[in-house]
Amino acid sequence: MDHKNSKKPTYSRFSQQELPAWKPILTPGWAIASFITIGTLFIPIGLLALSASDNVVEISDRYDEVCVPDDYSSKAESYIQNPDVKKTCIRTIKVPKKLVAPIFVYYQLENFYQNHRRYVKSRSNKQLRDPKAEDDTHDCFPKSKTKDGKPIVPCGLIAWSLFNDTYKLSTRGKEISINKKGIAWKSDRKAKFGSNVYPKNFQKEGLIGGATLDEQIPLSEQEDLIVWMRTAALPKFRKLYGKIETDIEAHDSIKVEIENNYNTYKFGGRKKLVLSTTTWIGGKNDFVGMAYIGVGGICLFMGINFILLYVFRPRRLGDPSYLSWNRHPIA
Amino acid sequence: MTGWRRSSGSRQSGDSASAGAPLAVDRSVSSSTIRLGRVQPQAPGHRTVFCNDREANYLAKYKGNGVSTTKYNVATFLPKGLYEQFRRVANLYFLTISCLSFTPVSPVSPITNVIPLSLVLFVSLVKEAFEDWKRLQNDMTINNSSVDVLQEQRWESIPWKKLQVGDIVRVKQDGFFPADLLLLASTNPDGVCYTETANLDGETNLKIRKALEKTWDYVAPEKASEFKGEIHCEQPNNSLYTFTGNLMLQKQTIPIGPNQILLRGCSLRNTQYIVGAVIFTGHETKVMMNAMNVPSKRSTLERKLDKVIATLFGVLLSMCLIGAIGSAVFVNKKYHYLELWINGDSQQFNPNNRFVVFVLSIFTLITLYSPIIPISLYVSIEMIKFIQSTKFINNDLRMYHSETNTPALARTSNLNEELGQVEYIFSDKTGTLTRNLMEFFKCSIDGEMYGTGVTEIEMGAAKRNGVNIKEKTSSSTAREKGFNFDDARLMHGAWRNEPNPDMCKEFFRCLAICHTVLPEGEESPEKLRYQAASPDEAALVTAAKNFGFFFYRRTPTMVYVRESHVEKMGKVQDVTYEILNVLEFNSTRKRQSVVCRYGDGRLVLYCKGADNVIYERLTSGNDELKKISREQLEQYGEAGLRTLCLAYRDLNPETYESWNEKFIQAKSSLRDRERKLDEVAELIEKDLTLIGCTAIEDKLQEGVPSSIEILSRAGIKIWVLTGDKLETAINIAYACKLINNDMKQFVISSETDAIREVESRDDQVEIAQFIRETVKNELQKCHEEAQSIIHGSTGQKLSLLIDGKCLMYALDPNLRSTLLSLSLSCSSVVCCRVSPLQKAQVTRLVRKGANKITLSIGDGANDVGMIQAAHVGVGISGMEGMQAVMASDFAIAQFRFLTDLLLVHGRWSYLRLCKVVSYFFYKNLTFTLTQFWYNFQTGYSGQRFYDDWFQSLYNVFFTALPVIILGLLDKDVSASLSKKYPQLYKKGIENAFFNWKVVGTLACFSVYQSVIVYNFAIASSTTGLASAGKILGLWDISTAAFTCLVITVNLRLLMMCNTVTRWHSISVIGSILGWFLFIFIYSLVFVNKDLFFRIYISWSYKIGDVFQGTYFTIYVLMSTAYFYLMAILVPIVALLGDFLYQGAQRWFYPHDYQIVQEIHRHEPEAIGAGLLEVGSQLTPEEERRYAFALLPRERSKHTGFAFDSPGYESFFATQQGVTAPQKPWDVIRRASMRHKTKSPRHSQQ
Repeated sequence: MDHKNSKKPTYSRFSQQELPAWKPILTPGWAIASFITIGTLFIPIGLLALSASDNVVEISDRYDEVCVPDDYSSKAESYIQNPDVKKTCIRTIKVPKKLVAPIFVYYQLENFYQNHRRYVKSRSNKQLRDPKAEDDTHDCFPKSKTKDGKPIVPCGLIAWSLFNDTYKLSTRGKEISINKKGIAWKSDRKAKFGSNVYPKNFQKEGLIGGATLDEQIPLSEQEDLIVWMRTAALPKFRKLYGKIETDIEAHDSIKVEIENNYNTYKFGGRKKLVLSTTTWIGGKNDFVGMAYIGVGGICLFMGINFILLYVFRPRRLGDPSYLSWNRHPIA
Repeated sequence: MTGWRRSSGSRQSGDSASAGAPLAVDRSVSSSTIRLGRVQPQAPGHRTVFCNDREANYLAKYKGNGVSTTKYNVATFLPKGLYEQFRRVANLYFLTISCLSFTPVSPVSPITNVIPLSLVLFVSLVKEAFEDWKRLQNDMTINNSSVDVLQEQRWESIPWKKLQVGDIVRVKQDGFFPADLLLLASTNPDGVCYTETANLDGETNLKIRKALEKTWDYVAPEKASEFKGEIHCEQPNNSLYTFTGNLMLQKQTIPIGPNQILLRGCSLRNTQYIVGAVIFTGHETKVMMNAMNVPSKRSTLERKLDKVIATLFGVLLSMCLIGAIGSAVFVNKKYHYLELWINGDSQQFNPNNRFVVFVLSIFTLITLYSPIIPISLYVSIEMIKFIQSTKFINNDLRMYHSETNTPALARTSNLNEELGQVEYIFSDKTGTLTRNLMEFFKCSIDGEMYGTGVTEIEMGAAKRNGVNIKEKTSSSTAREKGFNFDDARLMHGAWRNEPNPDMCKEFFRCLAICHTVLPEGEESPEKLRYQAASPDEAALVTAAKNFGFFFYRRTPTMVYVRESHVEKMGKVQDVTYEILNVLEFNSTRKRQSVVCRYGDGRLVLYCKGADNVIYERLTSGNDELKKISREQLEQYGEAGLRTLCLAYRDLNPETYESWNEKFIQAKSSLRDRERKLDEVAELIEKDLTLIGCTAIEDKLQEGVPSSIEILSRAGIKIWVLTGDKLETAINIAYACKLINNDMKQFVISSETDAIREVESRDDQVEIAQFIRETVKNELQKCHEEAQSIIHGSTGQKLSLLIDGKCLMYALDPNLRSTLLSLSLSCSSVVCCRVSPLQKAQVTRLVRKGANKITLSIGDGANDVGMIQAAHVGVGISGMEGMQAVMASDFAIAQFRFLTDLLLVHGRWSYLRLCKVVSYFFYKNLTFTLTQFWYNFQTGYSGQRFYDDWFQSLYNVFFTALPVIILGLLDKDVSASLSKKYPQLYKKGIENAFFNWKVVGTLACFSVYQSVIVYNFAIASSTTGLASAGKILGLWDISTAAFTCLVITVNLRLLMMCNTVTRWHSISVIGSILGWFLFIFIYSLVFVNKDLFFRIYISWSYKIGDVFQGTYFTIYVLMSTAYFYLMAILVPIVALLGDFLYQGAQRWFYPHDYQIVQEIHRHEPEAIGAGLLEVGSQLTPEEERRYAFALLPRERSKHTGFAFDSPGYESFFATQQGVTAPQKPWDVIRRASMRHKTKSPRHSQQ
C-alpha cells in the first residue's frame, strides 16, 4: 500500500489509550494502612493542639444584663438610650491562673449580624483609603451623606455602628494599662485605610449608632475602627480591644470599669468582656485538638474493624466467583 | 460566443426582448435540504436552458455552481451562533442569572456569572467556528476544482464555481461531474459512457449513459461550439432516478430521459472524455438537493441528565424558598444597626412588607445558589466527547482495516457513551455479516468428502478448544472468485484415480450442464466471465471449470463444454450437450433440473437442489450412501456452508417423449402455467440417483461469528434484518452462531401451503385477511409457548424467524405489542425478505416500544432508514459506497470492529461520562450547599460566603481540568480485558453507573462534605486564632473554607479514578496549586488596583469591594497555625465517608470490573497488546462454557441450503424481456452494465 495515502492512524500511547498509569486498588490492606496511619498521626497532633489550647487562660464576663441598673431592668432600652443616666458599671473578675503577657482584651458580641448582606456592603472602600474619593458613597446606603448632602467619612452602616463600650482595668488598686496600638492587621492599616483620610461629618446628625471618631487622627490610625470594619463571619464574634503587656498573677481579682454605651438591648444581643492569653495555636480553641483526636480515634477504630473484617469475613482478592455472571450461573 | 463575454457584466436590455419570453415561467425552487427517498414536490413549470449561450440564460438568473455547506458567514456568525447557544436551556438559564446579577437584588457581582458564561460561550463558539471553517475549506476545494468549459472554440479550464447553466463542459476519465449535465457526446462509440455513482447511492458497479444520436458528433471543441440547442426540462428536484425533458435541436424535439443525464458527484469511468451541457448547478443539482442533514441524535445519558438537572433546579428552588421564608421572618426593626426601616431603591429588607421581602429574596438566592447547576458541564462533556471521538475512536489501530485502508470514523461525537449501553443490534446481512462472495468450498462425491478448507466457524470452534488454526494457503490452491477449494485428490485431473471416477465425472458434468448461467466474453478459461442470477450458481460453474469441465458457450438448445477426458489424458475435447428442457428453480421447488442429450444419444436428467427435496425423490436402495451423505450434509451445515445435492437420472427415450408432451402442453397453457409446470416436473424428477453434494461458503466477513459470540456474551441481542430468503437467512444465522439447535425456534413465514393456496386465488382482500389471521394466531401461539418456556426451568433460549410479509401484518398496531414482547424474549431474531422501510420500522419498534437502546449496522443504501431510526447508526465503510456511511453516526470497516467500538470505546465512554457527570453534580452541589448553610447564619440575607472571583473561577478553573482528564483517560480495565470479559458491558445496558441511586448516594456525600467543610472552617472563627491575638474576619474564614473545599473536591476526583496517569496528578495538583497561586496574587491585587482593573471598576463599582474583602487574607491565614491544621484535617474528614463507603462497597458488594481488576492486578498492561490476538488462555468462564460445549448432545439437524438470492426468479424473466416488479432501490442496478440488452430510448425522428 502506498505509504502516503495510508490512512492508518499513527501510533501514540495517548491515542491508543495506553498511557502508563498507576492503578490503585482499594484493597483491605490499603484501607487498614491508611486508617492506622491517619489515626496514629492525628492523635498526637490533636493532643498537641489540645494541650496548647489548655495552656491558654481565658476569662470572660458577660456584662450586658448585669450592667443595667435595677430600676431599668425591665426597660433596658430606654436606659441605654437615655443620655443622662450614668453608664459606668463596675465588674470584678477573678483570675484563676496566671495570665502571662501579652494578655488580649476582647469584646464579644452575640446575635449581632455583622454578616448581614445589607450591613456587609454598606461601606466605601475607596473613600476609606483615598481622600479624593470622599464622595464615593453610593455603597454606603443608608448612611452615606448628611442631610445637607455632605459626604460622611467613614460612611456606611459598619462605621456608623462602631462599638463604643470602653473598659478600664485595675488590679490591687493599680490601673492596668491597655495598649490600643497594633490591634488591627497590618495589611488593613497599610492598604485599606488612608493615612491622609480624616473623619468628616461622622455621627454628626440623626441617630448616633456608636462611637465617634477624632477628626484629627487619620483613619489608618483609628485601630478600633479598623478592627470593627473587618466584618465578622458569624453573628457571634469577638473583636480585639487592646493588649495588656504586664502579667497578671493568679487569684488576683481585676476590677473592670465599663462604660456601657453600646445598645445591644434593642435586638437582644449579648456583650462580653474576654481576657485571654495565646499560644502557637492562638487563643483558647479546643475544637481543633478535639477534632484531630476524634478523627484519629475514628480512623483507628475503623482500622481495627477492617482488620477484624479481614480476619472473620475474608474475601480473596480477585475471586472469580464474585463475578456477577458466575453468581447466577447460566442454566 | 458573445454570450460568454458579456455574461459577467450587466444585463443588456436589448437581449431580454428576444430571449425573455420563454423564460418567464421559471424558477421558484427552495433549496432546503430534504431526506433521501422523499421526493420533493415539484415546482410548477419547467426550465429552459439555452446551450452554449450564457447571455440567454442570464435572464433566468439560475444559481451559480458554487456550493456552500457552511452554517455561518462572517456577519451572521455572532448573532446566529449565539442564538444557537441560547437555544440550550442551560445557557438560557445562566443568561437569566447573569441578568439578575446586574440588579440590586443580587448578592454577587455580575462577574460571578458573566465570566463563566462568557467562557462557556466562547469555547462553544470557537468550536462552532472551527467546524464551520473546516466546512468552508472543504467547500472551497470543491468550488475551486477546475473543469474544462468551451470558450471560443477552445477548452478553457475554469473553477467549478464559475460554471453556469447552459455551458458546454468536458469531463475527462475519472473526473467528477461538476454539475448535472446532459450528455452530448462521448469518445466511446455509440455515445456511450460509464459512470460510477458510489457517492450518490453507494453502488459501485458502473452505469451506462448514452447520448442522443443527434448529438454524438459534438466531441471536438470546434464542432461543439456550433451546438445550439435548447433544453426544456423539469425544475430541479431530488429524485435521483428520474428526469424528463426535451432537447430542441434544429427544430426537432427529442425527448431526454435519465439515461442522458450525468449527475454531479458521480465520476466518469472507462471513457476518455465526454462533452455535456450544464442543466442544473450548485444547490440545484440532484445530489445537493438530496444532501442529508444527519439528524442530530442526543444520547440517552444526556436525556437522563436533563432530568437530573431539572431535579437540581427543584432543589435550588426549595433552597431558595427556605431562605426566602427565613428572610421574611428575620427582617425586624429591632436590628437598629441595619436601619431596616429606611429603604432606598429596593424593598428587599422592608420589615413592613414581608411579602416583597420574600419575593425579592427568592431572586437573590437564585442568583446566589445558581452554581448548583454546573455551568461548564455541557461544554466539558462536549469537549471530552469530541476528543474521545477524534483522538481515540478515529485513531484506534485496532479498528483500522489495512486491506481497505479504512480507519474507524466517528461522524458525530454526541453518542460515544450511547455505545456503552446498546442492548439491541440490528444488522444487515449482505456486506455486513457476509462478504456476498460465494465460494465453492467443499464437496462430497459418492460419500467421499473432498476439500481441505477450514471455515471461520470451525476456526472459532477450534479456538475455543484452545487450538489456533491458521488458514492454510498452500500454493496448489486454485484461488479464483467463487472457487476456494483445495484437495489434491480432485485437482488437475487426479480424480481419475479416485475409487469412483465415473461418479466424479457425473458430478462435474452436472455442475457444468445443470444451470442457467450465461458465459460472457472471450472463450478462454482465464478471460471468460459467467453471468449468473445467483452467485451460488456462478461458483458451481466456476468449480466445474477448475475441475476440467469448462463451460464456455450456450445457445438456446446447446451447452458447450471443454472437457479433459479420461481416455485422452492431457488433451481437451469440446463436447456439446443438447439441452432439451430446463426445469427452472423457484422457491417452492427448491431444485432445478436439466434434461440433456449426449452426443451419443444418452438422455440424462441432472438435478440439483435442497437436500430434503432431492432425498424425497431418490430411487430406493443404497441407503448406506444416503446415510453417509446425510451426515456429511449436516457436517457442512454445522460449518456454516450452503449445501446442494446433485443427482441424475438416466431416461429412456419413450419415457422422455411421453413426458415432454405433457411438458409442452403445460408450458403453453394460459392459466396457472407455473403450477402446471411444477406438477409436470414432479413426474420426471423422481427415481434420482444421488451423486453427491456441494458445499459453498457464503463467505462471512472476517471474525463475524466470534464477534457475535462476544457481543451476545456482553448481553447484547443481535437481530438480523435481511432482504434474503428465509433459508439463506437461517443459514447465515447458523453460520454466525446466532441460532443453534439448542434453541427453540419460532418460525413465522408466509411461505406455507395454506397461504400459497389463498394467494393462488388472487383475491387481494382475502389474501390480506387470511395472512393477518394466520400471523395473529401464529404470534399468539408462539408468545404463549415462549412465556411457558421462560417461566419454566429449562432455561432454553429462544429465537424468532419471521419474513417480511408476515412482519408487515405483525407490525399492525393491534399485533405490535405481542410481536414486541415475543421478540424481546428471544435472544436472536431474524427477519428476512424485509424492505428498507420495514428494517426501519422494526428498529423503531424496539426503540420506541421497548425503550431499549438500539444500534443499527449496515452497508448499503437500503440500510439508511434503519441506521437513522436507531439510537446509534453504524455504517460499514471502505467497501461499497457512501450512502450508509453518510447517514451513520459511526463508520467502521468491518463488523468485527463493533466489539471494539462497543465493548472498549463505548464502555469506557459510558463509564467516563457517568463519572464526569456525577462529579460535576457533586462538586457544584457541595459548593452551593456551603453557601446554603452559611445563609442560616446571616439572617437569611443572602450574603455570599465566597468572593465573587472564587465563585466564578471555581467551575472554570479550579475544578475544570481534572474532570476532563478523568473523562478522557479513566479506564477500569484494559482494552483486551474489556473484550475478554464482555459481561462487563452489561452494567452499561442496565445503566448501573448513572441512575437515581447513584445520584442519591452522591448527594448524601455531598451534603456530608459540605457540612464538614463549612462547619469545620467556621467553628473556630469566634476565637482569636493568631498567636498575636488578632481576629479573623468573614473573608478570612471564607478563604480558608474555599481552600479546604478546593482540596477536598480535587482529592475526591482522584478517589474516583481507576487509573492515575501523570496527567491526573498534574491536573489535580495543578488545580490545587493553581488556586494557591491565584489567591496569592489575587490577595495582592488591591495594591496595584489601578493597573489592570481600572476600566472594569469604572463600570462596576462593586469590584472595589471584592478586592477589599480578600485583600491579604491568604497571608493572614498563613500566619496562623490553625489554617494548616484545617487544610489537612478538613479534606481528610470530608473524604473519610467516601473512603469508608468505597472500602466497604469493594469488600462486600464488589463490582465486576473491580474483581477483574483484582484478578489481573499483577499483570502489567502490555503496550499494543490489543493489537495481537489474545492468547489461548481461557478464563474460568470460558472453561466452563467449553465444558458445556463438550457435553454429548444431539447433532445438528441443520443443513445449509444454497441456491437462492434475491432477484433470482426475476433474472430469467428480464432475459426474456418481462419486467419483474422493481424495488425502489433496484432501479439503478437494472441500468447497470451487465444488462446491456437494455437500449436507450431513441429519438423520434
